[in-house]
Amino acid sequence: MMLQPHILIKHKAVLWTLVLFALLYSTQAQAQQPSEPAPDDEVITRQLEEADDNATPPKQLDTQDNPAQESEVTAEDSAPVQEEEELSDEELKALEAALAEDLEAQEDTPSLATTASTQGFSQSTMGRTLQSMNPDISLILDVAAAGFSNTPLQGGAHDPNQNGFNLQQLEMHIESNVDPFFELQANIVFSQFGVEVEEAYARTLALPANLQLKAGQFLTQMGRLNPTHPHSWSFLDQPLVNGKFLGGEGSRGLGMEVSYLTPLPWFVELTASSTMATGACCARSFYGGQDLGVNSPTDLLYTTRMEHFFALSDSFSLLWGTSAQFGPNPTGLGNRTEIYATDLYLRWRPLNNPSRTSVSLQVEAMHRRRQTAGDILVDNGGYGQLVWDINFRHALGVRYDFVEGIAGGLDTIDPEWTENRQRATAQWTFYPSHFSRLRLQAGYDNPGWYERPILIAMLGAEVLIGAHGAHGY
Amino acid sequence: MKYNHLKHITSAFITLAIVLFAHSAWAKGKKIRVVTSTPDLAAITMAIGGEHVEVTSLARHTEDPHYVDPRPSHIVKLNKADLLVVNGLELEVGWLPGLVVQARNKNIQAGAQGYLDASSVVKLLQVPTQAIDRSQGDIHPGGNPHFTYDPRRALNIAAAVEKKLAALDPDHKKDYAKNNESFSSDLGTVIKTYEDKFAKLSSEQKQVVTYHASTIYISDWLGLKEVMQVEPKPGIAPNPKHIATVLTAMRKQNVHLIFQESFYPKKASQKLAQLAKGDLVVIPGGTNVSDGQTYIKRIKTMADAIYKAASK
Repeated sequence: MMLQPHILIKHKAVLWTLVLFALLYSTQAQAQQPSEPAPDDEVITRQLEEADDNATPPKQLDTQDNPAQESEVTAEDSAPVQEEEELSDEELKALEAALAEDLEAQEDTPSLATTASTQGFSQSTMGRTLQSMNPDISLILDVAAAGFSNTPLQGGAHDPNQNGFNLQQLEMHIESNVDPFFELQANIVFSQFGVEVEEAYARTLALPANLQLKAGQFLTQMGRLNPTHPHSWSFLDQPLVNGKFLGGEGSRGLGMEVSYLTPLPWFVELTASSTMATGACCARSFYGGQDLGVNSPTDLLYTTRMEHFFALSDSFSLLWGTSAQFGPNPTGLGNRTEIYATDLYLRWRPLNNPSRTSVSLQVEAMHRRRQTAGDILVDNGGYGQLVWDINFRHALGVRYDFVEGIAGGLDTIDPEWTENRQRATAQWTFYPSHFSRLRLQAGYDNPGWYERPILIAMLGAEVLIGAHGAHGY
Repeated sequence: MKYNHLKHITSAFITLAIVLFAHSAWAKGKKIRVVTSTPDLAAITMAIGGEHVEVTSLARHTEDPHYVDPRPSHIVKLNKADLLVVNGLELEVGWLPGLVVQARNKNIQAGAQGYLDASSVVKLLQVPTQAIDRSQGDIHPGGNPHFTYDPRRALNIAAAVEKKLAALDPDHKKDYAKNNESFSSDLGTVIKTYEDKFAKLSSEQKQVVTYHASTIYISDWLGLKEVMQVEPKPGIAPNPKHIATVLTAMRKQNVHLIFQESFYPKKASQKLAQLAKGDLVVIPGGTNVSDGQTYIKRIKTMADAIYKAASK
């Protein structure tokens, strides 16, 4: 008897759901009735326009319909080829005049029926002659002149890190679709002393269930900056925390990644990857330079990321990410390292501003825990940067870096990093075009264990040639 | 207790069945979801698809289609799209390709059933026939991509959209054909009206200076002669020396009309117009679809504005 009312309520709930769905369905069915098209604005404006059109040119409506496009359709294929040559202004004008005359001359030809078809234009399309099966290849050169008031302590592998001239990198980016199922992206980086495969991976295009797989060598989704390349960074050097926690080359490795786009109405992407935990350049908080091999799945490095995007308004948007890395470290059997990170990217870009002005705030913070023989080392770090793209020629940026140190030389990776380190950077960018930029950067680097701070000045040039793929947000 | 469990399971199953039923009913009457890269393409698609489609444009009409922010929210739209209509000719190369890959939607990848490249169905202008490199500015190797400014080319796009929609949604094939017929006939009238109007202008009145080499299709349609561009080379910001050259040319050849899209800087053009005792006409870069503007209306507004200044 005690159960009775409970069950009753349950029945009622089911009943109500049924009724609700039935109602919903019936209203939907009604909405689909073809006999009653919704009197939407589109139809009304269309009618208005028809009335309008009829009013202005009353004569043409039923007689000659659209002769202009016929002339296009019947235009010979050969003639325009010559006309499009980039000649002197005079010649061009003459040719354009000729073209206009051609159009006029042909104005009193055929009827609507043929024009509606796409045949004419597509056959005379000339752009397709440029087709090739070559992938998009681009080459990016980053060079810089730098001066340091004290021994430089730059952490990034592509940072200007010596007095005088620096080759930051010569990056070759190659990408293309492989077939309907994969695309391939490769980023080959040349330094003065050799070549490295920074990234080379295949990514799926057609997996079901909103999934995507990546396999090869790639930068992990550890934070916002890490998976991107230096040529898309605002500053000439890498944030300190990325260099110390992830590595001079950032966190990257050979492995596999799976990501999932959730069906939520806003953008939420979940990513998980497994990569090799070795490399002083790119897994320094894990096995680093010591390759201890993989004896079980726990000897691999795992990275997870969740990313949310909110279009706050037409002009404001916010990207929020949380990442974590788990993997082994070489200080003893079973010792582990964990890094937790969160990042925020707030961007203001008014859509109707002709000078493409924008302001973006980017903040990343990381928390690292390392097991060592009989101890747990904990440190934190992060940076915040504000970049103002004044217009498409100039940009200004400021950045603040902070990374903790571990006292007493317990940190075997950075034994000298015993105190906190702060760095402030200001930067000005000039874009002669979309494919080149000059950057002037000044920095004040204050490692707590240095007697005097390091004053930094850099002047960098970056040029890009070739077809370069689109960057992410 | 066992009885109670059974109840739970049964009600769960019933609810699930209802949800599935409701979902399939909803899916049946669902509209074709079309995503376009530019608002002009959206407006043309709306005219053809009518009530059977739901069209979203990634770029706004106030935005320069070369430089759209690749917002991740676009990925969500692309993920759910049945058809993607792009302008092509690398107009969107700086922002769209990555989004399409990340969208994880095999139906809208290049070459798939739900992919339409508008540039493949129109006759193109300014296709380089000589070797090009970027010292000539930001040149599109396949030809000038701003063809949606020309309503004659819009007719070709409309026909291609009709074909695509009919293939994706054969149930409403007839409606699409009907919509295209009325769109083409309305637009045809507009085309003819303005051609006649502009034909009556003197050849001097038909000379123009434009900001970027994006207006060639308007000039082609209306028989205007583009004397020069305010930009020295495509994508390279104007410099005083070049502006002086443009001004000299304008004075010498009696050019009084400058036009440009709203998303380009206006100061240089304004100054030029003032010095050459002419007019600057600012045309929108696309159809204002978010406020319900139609493609036809957009073309008429644009042509009217140019005519008003040219016929002075």
